[in-house]
Amino acid sequence: MSFLEFVEGPLFAVAAGIFLFGAFWRIVGIIRIGRKKDIAPPKASAAAGFVKGNLRHFLPRGIFAKRTAVHIIAGYGFHLGLFVLVFFGAFHVEFLNERILGFAWPTLPRWGFILASEIAFAGLIVLWVRRISDPVMRLISTPDDHIGSWLTFIMMLSGCFALQESHEMLRAMHMLIVDIWLIYFPFSRLMHAFTFVLSRGNSGATYGRKGMNL
Amino acid sequence: MQYLIHMSRKLLWLGALMLLLLAFTAPQLMAQSVRPPGNAVNLDDGTEPGPSNALGDVSDTEIWDQFRGGDPANLLGPALDGQAMTTTGQQWRMVRENLIRKYLGWLPLIVIGLLAVFYLIRGPMRISAGRSGKTIPRFSHNARLAHWFMAAVFIILGLTGLIILLGRPVIAPYLGLQANSILTSAAMQGHNLFGPLFIVALVWLFIKFVRGNFFQLVDLKWIFKLGGFFGSHVSSRQFNFGEKSWFWMVILGGIVISATGILLLFPWLVDDIRWLQLSTILHALAAVVLIAVAFGHVYVGTIGMEGSIDSMLKGEVDENWAKEHHDLWYEEVTGKSAKEETS
Ligand code: HEM
Repeated sequence: MSFLEFVEGPLFAVAAGIFLFGAFWRIVGIIRIGRKKDIAPPKASAAAGFVKGNLRHFLPRGIFAKRTAVHIIAGYGFHLGLFVLVFFGAFHVEFLNERILGFAWPTLPRWGFILASEIAFAGLIVLWVRRISDPVMRLISTPDDHIGSWLTFIMMLSGCFALQESHEMLRAMHMLIVDIWLIYFPFSRLMHAFTFVLSRGNSGATYGRKGMNL
Repeated sequence: MQYLIHMSRKLLWLGALMLLLLAFTAPQLMAQSVRPPGNAVNLDDGTEPGPSNALGDVSDTEIWDQFRGGDPANLLGPALDGQAMTTTGQQWRMVRENLIRKYLGWLPLIVIGLLAVFYLIRGPMRISAGRSGKTIPRFSHNARLAHWFMAAVFIILGLTGLIILLGRPVIAPYLGLQANSILTSAAMQGHNLFGPLFIVALVWLFIKFVRGNFFQLVDLKWIFKLGGFFGSHVSSRQFNFGEKSWFWMVILGGIVISATGILLLFPWLVDDIRWLQLSTILHALAAVVLIAVAFGHVYVGTIGMEGSIDSMLKGEVDENWAKEHHDLWYEEVTGKSAKEETS
């Protein structure tokens, strides 16, 4: 078995398993903590507040919009860019189709893939340099934040390095880092990719129940 | 000896035969586009021994003149009618191999060496009155983001660019051709992808820092006092002459790098290959010069000068740092005299 076959085969299977099982375990754990019982009579629906809280957070609040514009643009650029390149990049869809799902869907042309990657890279860099160049962000950032950012960056960079498809080694390096990323994910704040729904929903539900206009 | 004479005779014959063949095929060749065969290998690139003298001592200048047609000294001159082959490719290769690849890489190393010597002799420039503990704002957060975005993109492009440029002469002899090929393929893809982000970074940096970076009369004093690096105190406003020069080097060098980079990324934008040849030379030249000077910038921004990095990390600097390095700016911002007792 070549190194490439190893990282794309057994190691990938283990990593994907840890990713799925770990993420599921943590989400269930968070839900099981439950919420403190609110004995006040509800003024409005908590469930509607949950949904509203989630949606409302996609838009910045008026007074913050201008101050945080760069942060918001970078945040959207990175996350949407990453989503598009992962799920609509021809290599990725082909990999998922052949190895896991057995079906494919339309993919981006190469220029679209490159553009999405460029936007994602730019966004991620801005988000990370924001972390190091703002006293408050520096204070609240833990090693986990930095490891998560860097691992994601290196994963993307290694994919970019393999774009010429000229050497197996480069593809293998990318896959190795993807595997490491998948394994790290459930143990870290990268989990926010799933948990943001719960935390936004939680505050949305609390406010919603009190009848506050979000 | 006998063997050598024998060989050179053989080579002579071979050379003559080839020239004859060339003379017959020249008109056909002229009608075709000149393209290397699929299996062509470049033997004589100055890094590997190869048959640089395959024709022996025989040369037929007339035939070569016929081939060349144009003026070999004029890189961008118009192509002459009937010209079968441009020789600018050869000149470009000579410049790239013998000048750029051989000498340019030393420039950053020389700068690093000079900085090391300067550091050893002079040490870091301390805030002579010590830190006051009071700070004043210097750069907005968006300005800092623009700076670090540029720095990050610059470092990625610098590293990948240097691998592309110098991998063959510097990496291949030590790690082997295979490793160099892998590294170069990776670097090339990285460089191509990040290139356009440099243009974004350049525009952002320009917008955020152009104010305060225009040259002024006070800069002359800075020049005469050699920037205060050798002792004496120098006055300056928000940016001193050194910083202003760095800013404009980045902007102007960045424009050259961006324009030539666009041509290299989208070669179909021009229909004359000589623009591309010129682009590779200018691109490498501007980039390596910027990389070299960047080391100086990073030195002053970090270990070279106490308190500098605060402005880019926290957005605020110590008052005493401001009084010592940017006294006129301090006075403008605070309305106080920089000559007051340092607190
Ligand atoms: C990664 C290492 C770098 C460090 C540690 C660094 C550090 C700094 C610091 C501390 C300042 C503020 C100086 C002051 O307060 O007056 C500054 C300003 C600046 N830096 Fe950097 N820098 C780095 C890389 C770069 C790069 C790669 C570029 C551009 C290609 C760059 C361009 C600038 C510019 C344009 C300014 C504004 C001041 C001026 O007009 O010269 N820096 N840097």
